[in-house]
Amino acid sequence: MNDTSARHRVRSVAATLAVALTLTLAAAAGCDNRREPSLPSVRDKLRESHIDGQPKIKIGVATTEPLMGELRNGAHAGFDVEIARYVASYLGYEGDQRIEWVSVTTEDRIPALQGGLVDLVVSSFSITEEREKLVSFAGPYFVTTQEVMVPTRLKDKIRTIEDLREPAYKVCTSGGSTTEAELAKHDVKALVVKEVGDCVKGIREGRYDAVSSDETILAGFLSLYPTEFEIVDMPFGTSELLGIGVPIGDPALRDLVAFALQKSYLAGRNGISSPWLTAYNRTLGPWLKAEKAQPQPLNVPDLVDFDDKAPTR
Amino acid sequence: MTAPAVPQDLGATTVPVRDGWDPAVERRARASQSFWTAVVGVPAIFSVLRLGVEAGGELQTTLLLVANVGPVNLLAGFLTTAARLLSTGLVAVFALGAVLRVSVERMPPTVRRPLFVRWADLTPAWFVLASFLMAMVTWQLLYLPLLLPAFVAAFQLTPARLHEHLVLRALIVVMLLAGYGWLLAPTLVDAWQQRELLALVLFVTPPLLALAVTGPLPGAVIRPLASITEAAVLAMLVWAALPVITTPVLPLTVTTVESSPGVTEDVRGHVVTVDDVNMVLLQERGGVRYVPVDDVRAQVLCPSEEELPRHRLRVRDYHVEDSLLEGLGRRVRPVHRTDAACRTLH
Repeated sequence: MNDTSARHRVRSVAATLAVALTLTLAAAAGCDNRREPSLPSVRDKLRESHIDGQPKIKIGVATTEPLMGELRNGAHAGFDVEIARYVASYLGYEGDQRIEWVSVTTEDRIPALQGGLVDLVVSSFSITEEREKLVSFAGPYFVTTQEVMVPTRLKDKIRTIEDLREPAYKVCTSGGSTTEAELAKHDVKALVVKEVGDCVKGIREGRYDAVSSDETILAGFLSLYPTEFEIVDMPFGTSELLGIGVPIGDPALRDLVAFALQKSYLAGRNGISSPWLTAYNRTLGPWLKAEKAQPQPLNVPDLVDFDDKAPTR
Repeated sequence: MTAPAVPQDLGATTVPVRDGWDPAVERRARASQSFWTAVVGVPAIFSVLRLGVEAGGELQTTLLLVANVGPVNLLAGFLTTAARLLSTGLVAVFALGAVLRVSVERMPPTVRRPLFVRWADLTPAWFVLASFLMAMVTWQLLYLPLLLPAFVAAFQLTPARLHEHLVLRALIVVMLLAGYGWLLAPTLVDAWQQRELLALVLFVTPPLLALAVTGPLPGAVIRPLASITEAAVLAMLVWAALPVITTPVLPLTVTTVESSPGVTEDVRGHVVTVDDVNMVLLQERGGVRYVPVDDVRAQVLCPSEEELPRHRLRVRDYHVEDSLLEGLGRRVRPVHRTDAACRTLH
């Protein structure tokens, strides 16, 4: 008898506790449901960035680098331009009527960002420690190597870096580029001009004998003159990580651009066609010797967006 | 109007003299009336209130909306946004009602039965079951485990009803819990790594609480619990009703308007109506705008800011903030891309 009533008592105490706890949990769930989201979202970052409210986004691109950034029939085209279009549309600027293209030369890229002439620079911009002191980078969105392109007549004579050092050969490169520094490191005397295109023109006119630059830029000129040139694979040590340049004072915009690149990277990794892959196949893909894939962007922030609830597989 | 009122009046005057008149029957009838009035009336009133809020409190704008939003659209729009709240209210009433009923039955018959018990008594079982089904498909997955103790309480499914043998009973409970654990294990690990303690507790404790939640409760608890929960459910309805009232009735769009050649402008707002001449837009910032149809260049549907997720957890690839219905929907149309124009903030 006593045993039963004790059991009854334990049961009612347990029931009371369970009911109380369930109600508390329900109340906690209700509060959680009304809480402001704690994770930063793409919209929050957009509000922080300086492009918030701008009717157009200003993007600095090259106009003289075939396959990367060029003017074709008056319209901007190339791999960098396609990537810029994708990033702009991610930021809310879809279509060329919302983008103000600003033509920047290799050496103008940093001053243009610093001076506020452009919001972004997508123009074969290699990420280096030196430059990171002056501008911010999102990316990399492409990894390339430094190569040398020679006219077909010299393809058997210039095969190594040693050959380049011979005073008989005049090597040309563009100013303010990483190539210029790399050549100096290898004791190669180079004639510095404004654009890689000037070097190519010079070679065709017989003024120079070789041009050194990123493989992507050289591939562009090779696509223009496939019979006249050849790219020689040389063991320059470093690989070039191409990034999107952002003003150093706008970390929110850098985060957004990195996040946009990450979206494309994840789509590509999951085997879905990504904006990067589309851009690559339409431009550089057919002209590069080795197959490339989008590199993983670095320092990508953790942001929430509206499509976060979509199924991942 | 007057015809049905007459027999009712007659009934009211004749009932006391009739033999076998039972005050309990009348009380039950009155409780039933109040219950169904609440179930039907609350959504109707809310729907109309929402229009006023949607219009930004402007009388003329409210009238414009009233003229253009049909009652069916209004009710359907209300149900899609408020189904969660409605089912929560009903589930809470039925679960508490059942627990209190089983406790009150042990008390002397003079004890007045609490309101929720009377409501639960009158409601047909199919309606209770339907409310739970609605809650199951509309509640966010994160809160869905709470439905388990509520269901067990509402239908008084004590472990004793599983099997008469104690050992077999324990075995069935352990197997059920193991199945639940297997289903949620990856999510629990994620929740622990992300230090989402509330999510962890919300997933782990409800099935354990379900074992003991059926009652009966000790006599001393019944009275305060009944009053507190009645007040709490009412407060919850009011508190949770606020976001429901402010949820828009019309879908959010961004319309690109070219008012003069070459000059385009994005208008963020809700389309009230379109006729041959104008598209009537209720702007997100307030105010109505009549845009000539010929000037409209593009229009996209946009998500609203409230739809941004708060958690980063998934249960078997279903986001914890999706209901089962939403989760299934996302499987039918898996790729969803937020249109660039929706990023326009102004």
